Order: sequence, then structure tokens, then C-alpha cells
Amino acid sequence: MEKTEDIKSKDQNVCQHAAMDTEHDTQQDPDERRRFLDRYNRNTHRIGRITTAIVLAMLIGAPFLIGSYLGSEPDLGAAGRAFLSVGLVWTVSSVVEFLVYTPMLGAGGGYLAFITGNLINMKIPCAMNARDIAGTKSGTTENEIISTLSIATSSLVTIIILAVGVLLLQPLQPILQSRTLAPAFDNVVPALFGAMAYQYFRKLPRLSWIPLLLMSLLFILAPSLGSQTSMMILPSGAITILLAYAAWRRQQMEV
Amino acid sequence: MMINRSREAVVFLLLCKGGKNMLKELNSPVIYLICGTIILFVAIVCVIALVRAWRAGVRIGMDKGKLKRTVTSSLTFSILPSIGILLGVIALSGSLGTPWPWLRLSVIGALHYETQVAEAASEAVGIGSLSAEHMTPKAFATIALLMSVCIMWGMVLSILFNKSYLAKIQKKGACKRTNGRKGGGFGDLAMTAMFIGLVSAYIGSYIGKFVSGKGVLTFSGDLTPLLVSIVSAAVMAVFTWFIERKQMVFLESFSIAGSMMIGMLAAILM
Repeated sequence: MEKTEDIKSKDQNVCQHAAMDTEHDTQQDPDERRRFLDRYNRNTHRIGRITTAIVLAMLIGAPFLIGSYLGSEPDLGAAGRAFLSVGLVWTVSSVVEFLVYTPMLGAGGGYLAFITGNLINMKIPCAMNARDIAGTKSGTTENEIISTLSIATSSLVTIIILAVGVLLLQPLQPILQSRTLAPAFDNVVPALFGAMAYQYFRKLPRLSWIPLLLMSLLFILAPSLGSQTSMMILPSGAITILLAYAAWRRQQMEV
Repeated sequence: MMINRSREAVVFLLLCKGGKNMLKELNSPVIYLICGTIILFVAIVCVIALVRAWRAGVRIGMDKGKLKRTVTSSLTFSILPSIGILLGVIALSGSLGTPWPWLRLSVIGALHYETQVAEAASEAVGIGSLSAEHMTPKAFATIALLMSVCIMWGMVLSILFNKSYLAKIQKKGACKRTNGRKGGGFGDLAMTAMFIGLVSAYIGSYIGKFVSGKGVLTFSGDLTPLLVSIVSAAVMAVFTWFIERKQMVFLESFSIAGSMMIGMLAAILM
């Protein structure tokens, strides 16, 4: 079992290294570099798995711990009923998020992003923006490093801002909840996706309008879907990927 | 009649008092300590990941300036959304106390998810809506457990399948690239396309909200999110012009944050 895992890991690393960008001219011995990256990759998964498991145990354990402090344990029957009513949707959504975002983020970034949350409204756009600025290609070690740096930084910023915010909750509350600022904070996500739309639509201008048109029509004709926008990401992404694939195939045939 | 009213008033006062006491319990130092410990652990994990990635980047010869720009841009990028998330903590703190929403939104949680699950959980535990007035220790523990369980699957899947899933994808992508196809493999393009799909879903929903928000094709719904995204995109275009035409590369790190800020300011003016 261990051996198969080792072979798999080597196989993965060989392919990953073969795909590596050549833009970074290193003076390193290729064998030494490969050995280093093998070790880095193996440790990333090891650390990622262990820390994720610990955080998971802490998050599940905390309600029981707090419950025992308050003098009452969670009602497992009620939790089960509520899970069936609302949890299943989020379970499906989590599976979709895992399948879609893991390849975008790579190993280190993936583990961190699923631990720290706020994927759609922060971590994914943040990592994509960092990737654009650094000019790295998906599936490369460079991209993996950039994505990990980006998500770790982003998570730390959130942790620090929330910690400071909680410390200063009393004086900050009237400012942050003022009527004047309310529209601004209600529109953080539209502001974010507006800026990202300009950046990304211009990368594939010939096909970007198609998913936008389809999604607009969908939300116009079925306005009730507006409350489930995140569920529409998968079909919208799938259509765009299919269109991009068709364009890419055409380009390959012409060569 | 008078007796009934005064009885109702007494019940109301008792509930308020109960709510206040419960909130006091939920804001107790012990709960702060439990939640703070978990947040601290996650912060340490982030620092370790940051240092490891930085060292690995330097070791394989990546440009330090590029690594620095990544950190700076991610830092500026995350400030405004984090303030938005802080508002989520404030919003939930009225019913769940401050430490628990602080934990949820610092770690694993997502702004749009927490309130929805917390509401559903309060209905299931029989306290009706999410409010401090009706909160009991059992209800709180159950709501907290449900909030943790519903969103844990990304972590579970990462532990079980991250390695094998990435190995499969990278093997496919890398081997395609090494076949020497012009223009590189499809992987990169697929990621860009996926993100365009994601953005299209959101912008499409803003268009839908305006056109059919108050009835199909009535054009009388909320226009603000759509206008905010247009303003933000326009400002991004200006930033891009300076970056590309005037070679003001330093703006890259601030372009998204700057565009968002002006987009959000526009929301105040509308």
C-alpha cells in the first residue's frame, strides 16, 4: 500500500516537474531540484492532511465543549433533522467546490482554502489574481507556491481584521453599521466580481459573452434562482469550459 | 384585559432578561478561549504554509520580487472583503454571541452560508427564528454543531482525495504539455474558463435581479449590484490601462482593492 502510494507520488512529481515553467532560470542541479520538490510536495500533503484533520476535530468538538460549559449537550436528533433539510444542499455544494477549486489552488492552497473558508467571495478570486500577477501556469509548482502564498496571506488578513474588529467591537459597531456605509458593505461581492469580470472577460472576449448571456437569461426568466447563485456556478463553468475546449481544439487542428 | 397585558409584559421582560443572560454566557471568557485557541491554531498553520511556500519559491529560483508582489496583492485584495466578513460577525453576534461567529467566519465559514444554516438549525431545535431572546444552551450547542457539520465536507474530501485527485489532473495536464502542443495544454485555459463561468453566474444574477427582481421583465428590481459591478469594472479598466500602457506595474497589487473601493463608494452615492 505504502509502495503504491510512493510510486503514485513519484509519478505525480515527474509529471509536475516535466510541466514546470522554464521561465525561472535556476542554476540548480535538476536532480537536486527534483528531490527537493518531491520532498516539498510529500510534506505539503502530510502537513495538509494532519492539520485539516486536527481543525476538523476541533470544529466538531467545540460545540460539545461549549455545550458542556453551558450545561447542555447538542440535541443530535434535531441536528440530524436540520441536516436533512438544509445540510444536504451544502454537502452537494461542498463536493462541487472541492472538484472545481482543488485544481485551481493546488495542494497547499487547497488544504488551506478548505480550512479557512470564504472561497467564492475571497480565496478563489484572490488566488486567481495572484496567479495573474505572477504569470504562472496552472498545474506547475510555481503556481502551487503562488496560490499557497496568496491563500495563506489572505487568511491571515481575515484572521487579523476579525480579531481587531472583535476587540474593538463596541467603538466600531456604530461606524460599520451606519446607514451611510450600509450600501457599500452590502455590495462587496458585486464590486469584487465587477473588477474580476473586466480582468477575465478580456482574456477570452470571443466566448465570455455566451455564458454571461445564458446566465442573464436564466436569472431573468427564473428570478427565484437568484437566491441560489452559487449552485449555478457549476453549469455556467461547464458551458464556458466546453466552449473554451472547442476553441482550443480548433486551434490545435489548425496547427 | 389589563391583567393579560401586564402578564404579557412580564413574560416579554423575562424573555429579554433570559436573552441577555444567555448572550452574557455566550460572550463569556471561556467561550472566547475555546474559539480563540482554534483561530490561533489556524493562524499558525497559515504562517507555516506561508513560510514553507516562500522558502520553496526561493529555493527553486523564483523571483523574490514576484513572491513579494503576490503577498502584497493578496494582502490589499483581502482587506475589504474581510471588513465585509466582520460585518457578518457583528450581525450574528446579536443572537449567537461574539466568539462563535468570530470563529466561524475566521475559519472555514462563509458569509452567505452561516446565517442560512443557523436559521434552519434554530427552526429545527424549536426556538423559531435565530434570536438571543429564545436561545437556550441546548439550542446553541445544536446550532453550533450543525454549522460545523454542514460545511465540513470540503475538509473531509481534502483529507481523503486531495492527493490522488491532483495527481490525476496534474499527470494528464503535464503529459499533454510535454507532448509539445503549440500554445500549451488545455489546463490553464480551463481554469480561466471556469472562472469566467463563475463571474458570469454572479453578473447574470445581478442583471436578473434588476430585470425580473419584482416580477419577470418588469425592469424595476434592485439596480445597485449591477451598477456597482459596472463601476468596479470600469475602474479596473483604468487601472489596467495605467499598468499596461504606462508600465505602472506597482498598481497591480492595488488594482482590485482600489476598483472595489470605488465600486462600493458608488453604492453609497446611488
